[in-house]
Amino acid sequence: MDFRWSIIQGYAPLFVKGFFMTLQVAVISIIIGTILGLFLGMLRLAEVKQGPWKWPFRVVKGLAGFYVAFFRGTPLFVQILLIHFAVMPVLIHQDNGLLISGELARTIKQDYGAFISGIVALSLNAGAYISEIFRAGIQSIDRGQTYAASSLGMGYKATMRYVVLPQAFRRMLPPLGNEAITLLKDSSLVSAIGLAELAYAARTVAGAYSRYWEPYITISVVYFAMTMCLATLVGRLEKKYAAPHHR
Amino acid sequence: MKKILSRYLPLCTLALGLIAVGACSKKEEAPAASAAAKQSLYVVGVESAYAPFSAENEKKEVVGFDIDVMKAIAAKTGIEVKFIPTPFEGFFNFLAQGDRDLLISAITITDERKQTVDFSTPYFEASQLIAVPQSNTSVKQFSDLKTLKIGVQSATTGDEVVQNLVGKNNPSIKRFDSTPLALKELEGGGVDAVVADDAVVKNYITNNPSASFRVVSDAGFPKEYYGIAVRKGNTELLNKINRGLADIKADGSFTKINEKYFGNAK
Repeated sequence: MDFRWSIIQGYAPLFVKGFFMTLQVAVISIIIGTILGLFLGMLRLAEVKQGPWKWPFRVVKGLAGFYVAFFRGTPLFVQILLIHFAVMPVLIHQDNGLLISGELARTIKQDYGAFISGIVALSLNAGAYISEIFRAGIQSIDRGQTYAASSLGMGYKATMRYVVLPQAFRRMLPPLGNEAITLLKDSSLVSAIGLAELAYAARTVAGAYSRYWEPYITISVVYFAMTMCLATLVGRLEKKYAAPHHR
Repeated sequence: MKKILSRYLPLCTLALGLIAVGACSKKEEAPAASAAAKQSLYVVGVESAYAPFSAENEKKEVVGFDIDVMKAIAAKTGIEVKFIPTPFEGFFNFLAQGDRDLLISAITITDERKQTVDFSTPYFEASQLIAVPQSNTSVKQFSDLKTLKIGVQSATTGDEVVQNLVGKNNPSIKRFDSTPLALKELEGGGVDAVVADDAVVKNYITNNPSASFRVVSDAGFPKEYYGIAVRKGNTELLNKINRGLADIKADGSFTKINEKYFGNAK
């Protein structure tokens, strides 16, 4: 097999820019997704048993449940296309955008359109999965802990913050790391909407030369290095927060 | 229940394994057998998002100008063809690896492509077309696109000419999986212009009158010719195709297909 690395060299700037784009998209989506997931996970566990907020709260909870079901139940690729080609044009459009319209909308769409759509799709998707991780983590903490906390006179907030979440976090770390790695890899799907990230660079080269080994091996190595770094990072965190007898 | 399961589990695993092995070996036999039986069924790769040349209809059949031409050739030469929708990226690889015998999908004959595949005689003349929003009045020729964001379908001639205009690493090129997606992006305002094959752009405009695009043609775009691709060195098949193409051009059925899709203009 003859490898023609020279064809990669011609497109080197595209790969370098693509690398940073992938990194940016993944990091931002992981951060937004985690915040969203924490918020949603807590929301889905919380209960309002009486008072005027009982019914509105149930509706919100139902919506959150539907959101999680939808984003877990449809392919990410479809979500990306849906958000970019259907949802975004409604919200941001130069003629009649619901959120932003006019010249500003044009600038945003042209310079950051695919970037924003990609991050929105990835964050929403990750948020759905992460909310389940949070829910499972919190539910895995024995009820006795909550009872003990309330017998000490702690309220819901304090119980969550000082008793339940710290313990749950330790158990949530491995699946969270897993989700981050998945998200980093799945960011390659965003190339479908024309965002110039790593997979896009490889696709461009493959299209121009009809050669597949060189571009795809190149990005495989880069993705692999990135996920390895992430795995090491998660591993360190896990060690730091490990239960005392596991140290 | 548990006992039954544990007793039969190894058996089940074995059965599954056998099925898997059987499935694999069957796959390997197929090409050899058909090659031995003096091939008459040819697998044709088509990109199915390239109306009016090739597209999938509601019944999941591929239809279009290319399909009709191919069918007419097949009927004339007495070969059987089977159309398989194939993504345009890596199109020629399918041919090289033997997954497809023929490719027809508005493929422009270029010198680069001639290095990897053999082309039939041209069957269609096309050129690139620029689509811009109606509101844009400043674009009059191709070079006016230099400072704009341009959408293309990756790996097409449009991609190539735009790369030549603004440089291959220029971030203002945005590549999409298909020309309709690029045009959809133009509709949404994500790009300023799209460069693609003329007939495909015109077809999109016909089907999406609300898009309000203006088309600009540039005499500077080289004339292009579409050809049917076969594996390099497969002269026997190539000759058959060329003969068939000449026949349908001679007996007028090619003109009929042409009129069906493009009117009397061409």
